[in-house]
Amino acid sequence: MLSFTLKRIAQLIPVFIGATLLVYFLVFATPGDPIAALSGGKPMTPATEAALRAQYNLDQPFWIQYGLYLKNLVTFDLGMSFSGQPVADLLGRAFPVTARLAILALLIEGVFGIIFGVIAGMRKGKFFDSTILVASLIVIAVPTFVLGFVLQFVIGVKLEWAKPTVSGAGTWSELILPAMVLGLVSLAYVIRLTRTSVIENKSADYVRTATAKGLSRNRVVRVHVLRNSLIPVVTFLGADLGSLMGGAIVTEGIFNVPGVGNLLYRAILKGETPTVVAVVGVLVIVFVIANLIVDMLYALLDPRIRYA
Amino acid sequence: MSENATPKPLLEVKDLAITFSTPDGPVHAVRDANFTVMPGETVAIVGESGSGKSTSALAAIGLLAGNGRVSAGQILFDGEDIANASEKRFVELRGNHIGMVPQDPMSNLNPVWKIGFQVKETLKANGLAGDNPKKRVAQVLADAGLPNPEARANQYPHEFSGGMRQRALIAIGLACRPRLLIADEPTSALDVTVQQQILDHLDTMTSELGTAVLLITHDLGLAAERAEKVVVMYKGRVVEYGPALEILRNPKHPYTQRLINSAPSLSAARGDKHEAIVEETSPAKAEPLLSVSNLTKVFDIRKGFGKKEKFTAVDNVSFEIPKGTTTAVVGESGSGKSTIAQMVLNLLDSTSGEITFDGQQIGNLSEKQLFKYRRRVQPIFQDPYGSLDPMYSIYRTIEEPLRIHGIGNSASRQKKVKELLDQVSMPAATMHRFPNELSGGQRQRIAIARALALQPEMIVCDEAVSALDVLVQAQVLELLDELQRDMGLTYLFITHDLAVVRQIADNVCVMERGKIVEQGSVDDIFDAPKSDYTRNLLAAIPGATLI
Repeated sequence: MLSFTLKRIAQLIPVFIGATLLVYFLVFATPGDPIAALSGGKPMTPATEAALRAQYNLDQPFWIQYGLYLKNLVTFDLGMSFSGQPVADLLGRAFPVTARLAILALLIEGVFGIIFGVIAGMRKGKFFDSTILVASLIVIAVPTFVLGFVLQFVIGVKLEWAKPTVSGAGTWSELILPAMVLGLVSLAYVIRLTRTSVIENKSADYVRTATAKGLSRNRVVRVHVLRNSLIPVVTFLGADLGSLMGGAIVTEGIFNVPGVGNLLYRAILKGETPTVVAVVGVLVIVFVIANLIVDMLYALLDPRIRYA
Repeated sequence: MSENATPKPLLEVKDLAITFSTPDGPVHAVRDANFTVMPGETVAIVGESGSGKSTSALAAIGLLAGNGRVSAGQILFDGEDIANASEKRFVELRGNHIGMVPQDPMSNLNPVWKIGFQVKETLKANGLAGDNPKKRVAQVLADAGLPNPEARANQYPHEFSGGMRQRALIAIGLACRPRLLIADEPTSALDVTVQQQILDHLDTMTSELGTAVLLITHDLGLAAERAEKVVVMYKGRVVEYGPALEILRNPKHPYTQRLINSAPSLSAARGDKHEAIVEETSPAKAEPLLSVSNLTKVFDIRKGFGKKEKFTAVDNVSFEIPKGTTTAVVGESGSGKSTIAQMVLNLLDSTSGEITFDGQQIGNLSEKQLFKYRRRVQPIFQDPYGSLDPMYSIYRTIEEPLRIHGIGNSASRQKKVKELLDQVSMPAATMHRFPNELSGGQRQRIAIARALALQPEMIVCDEAVSALDVLVQAQVLELLDELQRDMGLTYLFITHDLAVVRQIADNVCVMERGKIVEQGSVDDIFDAPKSDYTRNLLAAIPGATLI
């Protein structure tokens, strides 16, 4: 298990270099001059322009730019944004907000998704099951921005149960409403996945044997159906954690959340290579680690899986 | 029992009817079933799949599938009618009053919990765990014949062999000392010798505990050997019921007679054999079509941390198959018999040794030659559910090899498929259907038709009839026999079932752990077995001593 974990962490290095190189190149190749964008299209003296280009290494060829970026990275220098702030600071402010948002969303979809999914699966074809199936289909079908604006209007503006927008601090309580919106679509998937998995497992031979042993129905479901049904669900949740951390640009936009999604969106518009690459780099790490956690949970849930 | 002049029956099934509601309307799985189990007695219910034997037994423990219910009659357990008892009452009864040993040891233990945990929760649910549950668990496992029970309790099901899992399931079934044990085909997934050990052990345990057993089986020989009374079920009805030996020796109902005639275990004991083959093939000192010499296959087994271990699956095996005859390779699971089949089919490379087919070594065939070879040698596999593509119509399944080998045009191929279906006694209309619409026996006929499509000279049957009910098995064996006579086919017949061997083979190779321990003509092997291993295998055929 240890060697497996170390191997996976070592895999981070080529994945990280590959991903940042690709993103660096994409931003480099994007049409439009970042310096022009920086000046807002106003005229600039050639000397100022040259100085700015030199400051951001924009006068160098691609490979040198990327090499310099990597060199700075080793010393934890992520570079400067065009507004003169260190990228590390920007990330340091946005990342915790997104992390809180993602964790809340994951909790909502995990807890409610599994509970509803198990109930629906155990009562296949009954009223609760049919209702949940239709409801989840609607949630999957409606675009996030519609769901977001509706919930913001109903819960935030009309009922005033939660603040409709998020302050710069992005505290836990402010983030509940955006987390609901963010988790809702995945919630629908988790419900459906759990339901299918429960239906499949509840007719397994070992469940019948467990019943024949004299166990109560409650225990049969808890001990023999649930754990076996969670394996595919955990895979989904782990992969979803990665994409939630990537910041939901739409949701963060609606609720004005100062998170990673917002930061990335603005940086892409400005062609601000250091910020874009730094954000993507962090996300790559988050993805790889989330997948590693999934694999380990897998082995924990299913003893037949052993890593060597 | 002896104190009481007329002991009360433990289980009494009276006019039982069980109905399943399906989208196509109600299906009457069991009708008017009557039988009794006395305390401490073993009663066997015998029948083919779909006869209602499992359904009747499952109703007695309240485990009918969701859409099934007892629609009439009574199930009296110790005088109490439990036919439509509440779930709560069944939870009370299960485990400590009525236990169950299920059929398939591979799927009946939860793969994610340790064996010990699964035994312990049984004890706990029935309030029998005591002060030291760990010790109780070890005791229960030891009673079921598991060696080293403390360590075994700490392992997961996938670390157990099939026989060990079945012992664990017996331990669970008997852990709470029930008065009635429902054993649903408890050994049909196991090798004969393991089956014998386990049934012997089950006998000892139940007679020590005074447990009555309701044994469900498709094997009449096994039923007669193990039970005092036999209930024969056919299409949901009890067609014959009485003392086991009486039914076996003097069957009254035509179905029971057919069952006895086609049970390989019983006919093997009688020495029945299709005379036709013997006459035609015994004098033939024909050229060997296939000869295998010094064949060896070594597998690398990964042991973690990059360590490897060598495992010799097939060890220096040599035999010859004369043209137009059948050679059976017999052995228990893990003996290497299927590995030989795969190497003969060239699906697996050998480590050393030679396989010669019709004078040509098949180890170093070019791609083109191999393609030709495949046309001459065709397989039939064990599982007719797995070996036919569910997305292919029967027509497409049978036509595919013809198309691949570029034989005929679409009209002539269609004609050929019709002929092939006719050869295996299937109506031509079958070709528009899909495998899931056919029964196991019908599917195996399709697999045979597919194998015959290219007019091969040799067919490799890898456990081709093991998954089938006795009657269907007998029909398929007869079909293979007919085809051999008509077309001069040569069979390499891989099986674990010595009883089937006697029905079909001319020559036999007995394998144990990769080596051939004995080979010879079928009569030599059965009448004068030389090795202890062969003798053990023969003795383990259930019912062998009864006729």
